[in-house]
Amino acid sequence: MSAPAQHPILDPAAAPPFPAAALPVLRNAQLRKNVAHATDVIQGKRNRLVAEKTDWTELRESASAIRAHTLEHLGEYLAEFEERCTLAGGVVHWAADAGEAREIILRILQEEKADEVIKIKTMTSAEIQLNPFLRQNGVRAYETDLAEIILQLGEDEPSHVVVPALHVNRAQVREIFARTMNLPELSDDPQALTAAARTYLRKMFLTVPTAISGANYLIAETGGVAIVESEGNGRMCLTLPRTMITLAGIEKVIPRFRDLEVMLQVLARSATGERMNPYTSLWTGVTPGDGPQHFHVVLLDNGRSAMLRREMERQTLKCIRCGACMNTCPVYRQTGGHAYGSVYPGPIGAILTPQLQKLEHAQTLPYASSLCGACYDVCPVKINIPEVLIDLRAQVTEKERAEDRRFFDPIYVGMRVANWVFASAGRFRLAQRAARLGLRLFTRKDGWIHALPGVGGRWTMTRDLRGLPQQTFREWWAKERGR
Amino acid sequence: MTGSRQAVMDRIRAGLGGVVEDGAGRSASLKRDYRQHGTLDAEKKIALLIERLHEYDAEVAECAEPELPATIAAQIARSGRRVLVAPSGLPAAWLVKGADWRVDHELTHAQIEEAEGVVTASFCGVADSGTIVLHHSPSEGRRVLTLLPDWHLCVLRTRDVVETLPEYFARCAEPPRLATYISGPSATADIEMTRIKGVHGPRFLSVVLVRDDG
Repeated sequence: MSAPAQHPILDPAAAPPFPAAALPVLRNAQLRKNVAHATDVIQGKRNRLVAEKTDWTELRESASAIRAHTLEHLGEYLAEFEERCTLAGGVVHWAADAGEAREIILRILQEEKADEVIKIKTMTSAEIQLNPFLRQNGVRAYETDLAEIILQLGEDEPSHVVVPALHVNRAQVREIFARTMNLPELSDDPQALTAAARTYLRKMFLTVPTAISGANYLIAETGGVAIVESEGNGRMCLTLPRTMITLAGIEKVIPRFRDLEVMLQVLARSATGERMNPYTSLWTGVTPGDGPQHFHVVLLDNGRSAMLRREMERQTLKCIRCGACMNTCPVYRQTGGHAYGSVYPGPIGAILTPQLQKLEHAQTLPYASSLCGACYDVCPVKINIPEVLIDLRAQVTEKERAEDRRFFDPIYVGMRVANWVFASAGRFRLAQRAARLGLRLFTRKDGWIHALPGVGGRWTMTRDLRGLPQQTFREWWAKERGR
Repeated sequence: MTGSRQAVMDRIRAGLGGVVEDGAGRSASLKRDYRQHGTLDAEKKIALLIERLHEYDAEVAECAEPELPATIAAQIARSGRRVLVAPSGLPAAWLVKGADWRVDHELTHAQIEEAEGVVTASFCGVADSGTIVLHHSPSEGRRVLTLLPDWHLCVLRTRDVVETLPEYFARCAEPPRLATYISGPSATADIEMTRIKGVHGPRFLSVVLVRDDG
């Protein structure tokens, strides 16, 4: 069993650049097999169910319009959500950044005198690195989603936003469960593994009085929260405890209850290839006699508001975290999620993470794409990911160019030289002649260049270069049709 | 309210460049060209719902209104379960003989956990996705009632069956305060995408369809 050589780092500030992080994965045959299998299965189901939906184009159009409209009026809808949620008995908190969100959640837990908390899968809590922080402050957080349990007990990190443990196979799950749940006889049958998780969690659900969730949607009109899931661990966490804390990015709001008729239809099909996910739960503040009697919502900014400024970047916040772009991405399908160094991997991660980091980290992610456009094709809210990738590449370049230490970087020196050469016809002709002479040294008999020295070697490392022809087009034209 | 409300709001407003704030009214006028209404006739709609429920391995029994209590009794007998919980507002006629009923007058979680099953009404059904909708009214029960017991017998009237999800939303004069949409028993595909039924919610769903649409 080839487990990843080292523990994956999902903190963009500490993670290695994408090419460096991807390399060990590309050599890990087991991991690549696991990722390919999972993404093939979900994609197949997703494609079948999208094909049967005769109004898919219209649903996608509306989903995109609802999300874009919400973001254009984000302040207003958040204020409306806050007002309605508060009226219904909820308490709304605002966190400018990850640190503030962690402190707010810890303070609530301390007021509840909680030393344990059960969690519904929330990528946002991974974004703010909540679990290690709570641990340091004497609160044990227990994940309850099956995939999250596998990761938590295996001391691993999520590699996908919908199926976070897709890189782990049944034998690896068996090994983790047998060791950590003390079940040496456990088989590697998924049925038995799931049953082991059920038993492991049942008592926890019935006894731990505090829970943390994310949110799929915050409904401005009602102040309600919607969560979609498959296993029922979500329903357990949002029904049984005394106190419930929901952590949600500020972009998660939708205007009206009725908008769910669009969002739910596109989400289930895109995320898991189902007509509807097994369970969807909606609750509004506190309901006497039913469910938690203390309810908190923590609205997290953490870099999101800065993305509103330009429409190009703003569309990133339309994302509903279905993961369809990951399943279809030729890069993600080879590298899996950990190489992205963020809880948000794949194409959406490649545009979201650098922006959340204000381009101070994760600058290599916009390049982790072939720009093939498959992600845009499947996106249920029509985020033009390739367009944003190119825009971010331009921003990364602009930023780098401005840095002193980049002045002598071969790429930028080359670009400046090219700029100077291309600016004059005479210089361009001269350069062509020089290149023809120079490259002749490296051109083999077959007319191809197989290896170049220095910077050029970075090109020929993975592909051949055709040798330059004896004559340029201009020369040919002058000779044939000249004068 | 705690934390940085003003700071976050200011950043949002600055980001959006002081867009005139009158959005709320206009979300209703966004383009909605998707399928709002079903096209199937009543028989085909019910057939589609049954097909979808069977795909989820739910059990389906059909009956006319007068036969409902007998059908409930038969389904309970078939299930082999005895100790059942019932929402406080469940019609008295549905509390059939042959079961040990625990009616929910503030039952504790432990008492509900002990039960082998639960019988409830439902708000509506959506044929297209095989979804059962609960709004947790007195006859549908608190959320915990349909969560802990392993077997859920749900009564659905054919006049409450719609074909498309938008038709359900059109039926909600007021948005519900609480709602649960059930589309098949709890399941996971987290291990190698192998679908496993019955993780935490009820593992068995049984639907009694009452033919009351003429």
